[in-house]
Amino acid sequence: MSSVDASVERASGALRGAAAIAGPLRGAVFFGALIVTPMFGLQHWVLNMLVFVLMFAVMSSAWNLVGGFAGYPSLGHAAFFGIGAYTIGLIFRNHALTNGYEPFLWLPVIGLVGALIGWPIAAISMRTRADVFAIVTITFLFVVQTLAFNLRGITGGSQGFAMPIAPFPAATFELPFYYVLLALLAFTAGLTFAIIRSKLGLSLASVRADEDKARGIGVPTTGVKVLAFSISVGLTAMVGGVWAYYESFVYPQFAVDPLITIAIVLMTFLGGRATLWGPIVGAFILEGGQQYLAYELGGSQFYLIAYALVFLLIMLFLPRGILPTIAERRRQRVRRSTGGATPPPSLLPASPMRPAALDGDGRTSGINMRSAQAKS
Amino acid sequence: MNAILTVDGLSKKFGGVRAVDGCSLAVEQGTITGLIGPNGSGKTTVFNIITGYLRGDEGAVAFAGRDVTGFDTGRLYRHGLSRTFQQARVFPQLTVLENLVVAGGYSLWHLFSRRIRRADRERAEYLLAEFRLAAMAEAPAAELSYGQRKLLEFAAVLMSEPRLVLLDEPTAGVNPVMIETMEHHVRERHAAGTTFLIVEHDMTFVMRLCDPIVVLDAGRPIFSGSPAAVQHSPVVLDAYLGS
Repeated sequence: MSSVDASVERASGALRGAAAIAGPLRGAVFFGALIVTPMFGLQHWVLNMLVFVLMFAVMSSAWNLVGGFAGYPSLGHAAFFGIGAYTIGLIFRNHALTNGYEPFLWLPVIGLVGALIGWPIAAISMRTRADVFAIVTITFLFVVQTLAFNLRGITGGSQGFAMPIAPFPAATFELPFYYVLLALLAFTAGLTFAIIRSKLGLSLASVRADEDKARGIGVPTTGVKVLAFSISVGLTAMVGGVWAYYESFVYPQFAVDPLITIAIVLMTFLGGRATLWGPIVGAFILEGGQQYLAYELGGSQFYLIAYALVFLLIMLFLPRGILPTIAERRRQRVRRSTGGATPPPSLLPASPMRPAALDGDGRTSGINMRSAQAKS
Repeated sequence: MNAILTVDGLSKKFGGVRAVDGCSLAVEQGTITGLIGPNGSGKTTVFNIITGYLRGDEGAVAFAGRDVTGFDTGRLYRHGLSRTFQQARVFPQLTVLENLVVAGGYSLWHLFSRRIRRADRERAEYLLAEFRLAAMAEAPAAELSYGQRKLLEFAAVLMSEPRLVLLDEPTAGVNPVMIETMEHHVRERHAAGTTFLIVEHDMTFVMRLCDPIVVLDAGRPIFSGSPAAVQHSPVVLDAYLGS
């Protein structure tokens, strides 16, 4: 018995050790690769595609903090993308740019504005749960959208308004945006990593699992979920700010677009909710795929069908999201190879009649497995 | 004797049904008080009102000498009043160890500290050893059997070193061996100074463990006394068997 225990212990200890190194290593490889990617003289359309992929990677990672870790599926995030876009637009509307990097320096302020607006929105809307919360937040999105279209004095209505064009050389125009977004993604991923490893992450997980119980054992549930929402929408607003500057034009059709919300939710679900890398993987596949197919298949709407096909295939074979499904399969393999939870033979009585009263001896699991077989 | 918990004139209506109807009772410091009664007599509703999960229509609850009527569940927990649920409520995707740590009680400031600090781990491992769950410490709680989840939930609420623990049917749905285990742990904690209030249907368990026993019927106490007195009370027999 002790030798089995020891080998299981060793295996899981080795896994933990490997995971402790693998995480930062994976991050270094991923971000290192993205840092050198533009140095291969990529065409403008590829860089443009990557800029949008990074935008969505930041936004789905940010959404994951509240939609994944806290389990509150916000559908209002596009409103904060718009708030960020309009804020930077209003700051630079009548302001000549002396330095092309100036708007980027304002991004922390944009993030703060988004988070401060998000705080009371969260404090009110998070009194509801699940589907009602989704409806409340999407209502907020439509309110902001209506304001964007109708407060013509400030937003320019459906025409939108222009802001100064970034004074970067045409040959490398996309690069500053690319690297700012990459830095934002690194920041978001680092923040997510830190949250997972902190008590905040533990509290959010308990809120997601059973909020009433969590509150009953002293977890400051309101505080953690409002905090997660604020951080999340602050980051989303920053991406909106970068987008407005990149386009040098703010118009409500894209700045406050429900499709942005839908896209970041889909990306997070596809890659895996409440995981560090899931939303990033999802954004690279979906936004990358969409932009690529739109370029390759061009004018016809055929690319949308191809895009939907990719999504359907993944959902069919990896229903819980890509990373959780892979992790689950790997766990099963490890369990098989170490003998798993089966008690060592010496503990089982020799008689074919096993005692019926050993808790955790797998009777219920056996019944569940048999009834699952019967169904299929 | 001084009461750690007093409930005074508690009432709660659900639509037209008076689930709790002018219920008054007291739990003396250092006892294992049993709360029994037929199905639908309002035991769990009383529990829910005491622990802040429900708001009573009338009446007051005092805990450790202060009025705590209408307090939030978390605030009561931090004051030393904790409970378990009829259907063991643990966090299935957290590990067994994390299930304990998350119940350890912490302020907002601690949110930015490590997920499991050394002090958390030491305290949790002590309880895991006591409840013989140490081998499962790193497993997700989803992998525990139902009986083990009940033990885990019980162990977790002890993380905050409560003065009074309310157990809601601790033996429901678990096997006889586990019932003895549960009894052993209650006794051990009782000896260490924790007061218990237990709702339970398993009469042999209640008669062995609890003294005094309060009998509830139709939302109010009809009898209170020692196990022997309860067993011989005609009022109690009436309530259970109908007159």
